[in-house]
Amino acid sequence: MVRREFNHQVPIITVRHFTAGYDGHVLLRDLSFDIYPGEVFVILGGSGCGKSTLLKHMIGLYQPLKGSIHIEGKDIVTAQGQQRLGILARIGVMYQQGALFGSMTLLENVRLPLEEYTDLPGEAIDRIALMKLQLVGLGPAAYKLPDEISGGMRKRAAIARAMALDPPILFLDEPSAGLDPITSAELDQLIIGLATHLNITFVVVTHELPSIETIADRVIMLDKRTQGIIAEGRPQELRDHSKNLWVRQFFNRQVEAVG
Amino acid sequence: MAQGVLEGHPSSDGALILSINGSLDTTSTGQAWRRALQLITEHQPKGLIVDASRLTYCDGAGAALLLELRRRQESRRQPYEIQSLDPAYRALLDLYGRWDAQRPEPLAPADSPVEQIGRATVAVWRDVVVLIAFVGQLSSALASAARRPGLVRWKDALLTAELAGVNALPIIMLLGFLLGLIMAFQSAIPMRQFGADIYVANLIGLSMLRELGPLLTAIILAGRSVSEEIDALTTMGLEPVRFLVVPRVIAAVAMTPLLSVFAGLLGLIGGAVVMLSLGFPLVTYIIQVKSAVTVGDLIGGLSKSFVFGIVVAAIGCLRGLQTKSGAGAVGESTTRAVVSGLVLITVVDGIFAVVFYCLGI
Repeated sequence: MVRREFNHQVPIITVRHFTAGYDGHVLLRDLSFDIYPGEVFVILGGSGCGKSTLLKHMIGLYQPLKGSIHIEGKDIVTAQGQQRLGILARIGVMYQQGALFGSMTLLENVRLPLEEYTDLPGEAIDRIALMKLQLVGLGPAAYKLPDEISGGMRKRAAIARAMALDPPILFLDEPSAGLDPITSAELDQLIIGLATHLNITFVVVTHELPSIETIADRVIMLDKRTQGIIAEGRPQELRDHSKNLWVRQFFNRQVEAVG
Repeated sequence: MAQGVLEGHPSSDGALILSINGSLDTTSTGQAWRRALQLITEHQPKGLIVDASRLTYCDGAGAALLLELRRRQESRRQPYEIQSLDPAYRALLDLYGRWDAQRPEPLAPADSPVEQIGRATVAVWRDVVVLIAFVGQLSSALASAARRPGLVRWKDALLTAELAGVNALPIIMLLGFLLGLIMAFQSAIPMRQFGADIYVANLIGLSMLRELGPLLTAIILAGRSVSEEIDALTTMGLEPVRFLVVPRVIAAVAMTPLLSVFAGLLGLIGGAVVMLSLGFPLVTYIIQVKSAVTVGDLIGGLSKSFVFGIVVAAIGCLRGLQTKSGAGAVGESTTRAVVSGLVLITVVDGIFAVVFYCLGI
């Protein structure tokens, strides 16, 4: 598969000395990494290693114990008030279950951020919302309620809503969880398409191996025991050349050796 | 006022040139959109030319504006041209423009009131049919349970009895006590004006034992039994009526009369507190209650709560069985169970009132 090359000069997200945990219990310790514009960056690791926690810190839901998370040069950890809203306007988030509002149609769900944050006239909002739904292939379902569509469609609608304000960065929490392989593959194609055509930076949390190999430009792998990053790089390189046995086993789907 | 992102001037051949100066993003496009439509209305141009040479940035919102202008011109069969558009934004326009021709049809408008009434009636009728079928199923399951008691899951019944009965006891006792207290207070004030405050004892005794005790108990159980039911029902799928509903109905039938005895008793105690505070000795109160309340009243109340128990457990189980999958479904069916439980309890209570009246109890 042809991968795109990126300008690895100016990162769009920088995480430095990030330490997170709760109740005095540290979950992740001293993480530092960069994410570059336009790449699909995957955070992976086994269950309970803290990948969703890391994502929730990056979108400003939680406060880390230590460290900084800069998004387009602004620290989301310390930002307050208007500055914080300014950072949040530059990111979109797709939550694991979609988190669509059940009483609104898909179109109304996508309209909502546009109505709240812009002064666009109603017909413009309608048009933009419809464009986003068409972009994720849900044009014909625009007037349906979230209850009336499948899980895969809900996730795509959630991506459309996350993209409503054209943020340059999208965070996806377990996009393939609970989807069948075909729907999951369709979602992967959508992610690649959006990254390629709209130059959106994706930060994806997942542990689905086929999905990682399809979409990821670069991955970091978190580990529960070391509470940090045990591998960073392109998935193919990690699979074939990682020095860490566990990483190679993960990518080759082998059971863990006792030892 | 600062110069807008979009300005227009007519060209020599009657077309309108819209020049964009700056960025078309979600924050600036709103103003540009209005300005563009305003200029088009003012000039009524033959053709439209967008000069994008000074466009610095364009996102989805900007693309939407350029596409909307194109659609308007095409529908009027007039020329439209975008000049000096950066190839990157041209690609964006192509991406979004792909679907421009196909706009989904909005759904049919909401039903007329007549249709809505019709639909609601059909829905209620279907619900009644389901209810009747369920009563039949339940009766046959209960009959077979009576023939072969060994097949009933007694452990389940005991567990439910504990959950719905024992655990509900404190709240039912508290509410019964407060209800008796409040009723006694409220009625003592006007009755005292007629020197009839001793009859507060009659009022409390009759209403708590015949009416409110069973009703209160049933209402509490309607809100309580459901969630446990649904948890159990969702984890098991085998012959739900026989395996899950029967034990619960048995448990509820056993517990509701017991609980309503407690509710009635505590109601009487609440009334006694008020009577004591009004200066009546306890003995007077007890004798007055004894003379007012007959064994028939007590049995009437208990038989009522017996039926309430069946109704509450059955409706809770029925709604539990109807639970659809999905995060909101459990909550929805819980609400439905409580609401239809309350409606049925009230209806049954009304039927009892008529029957008791006819029988002279």
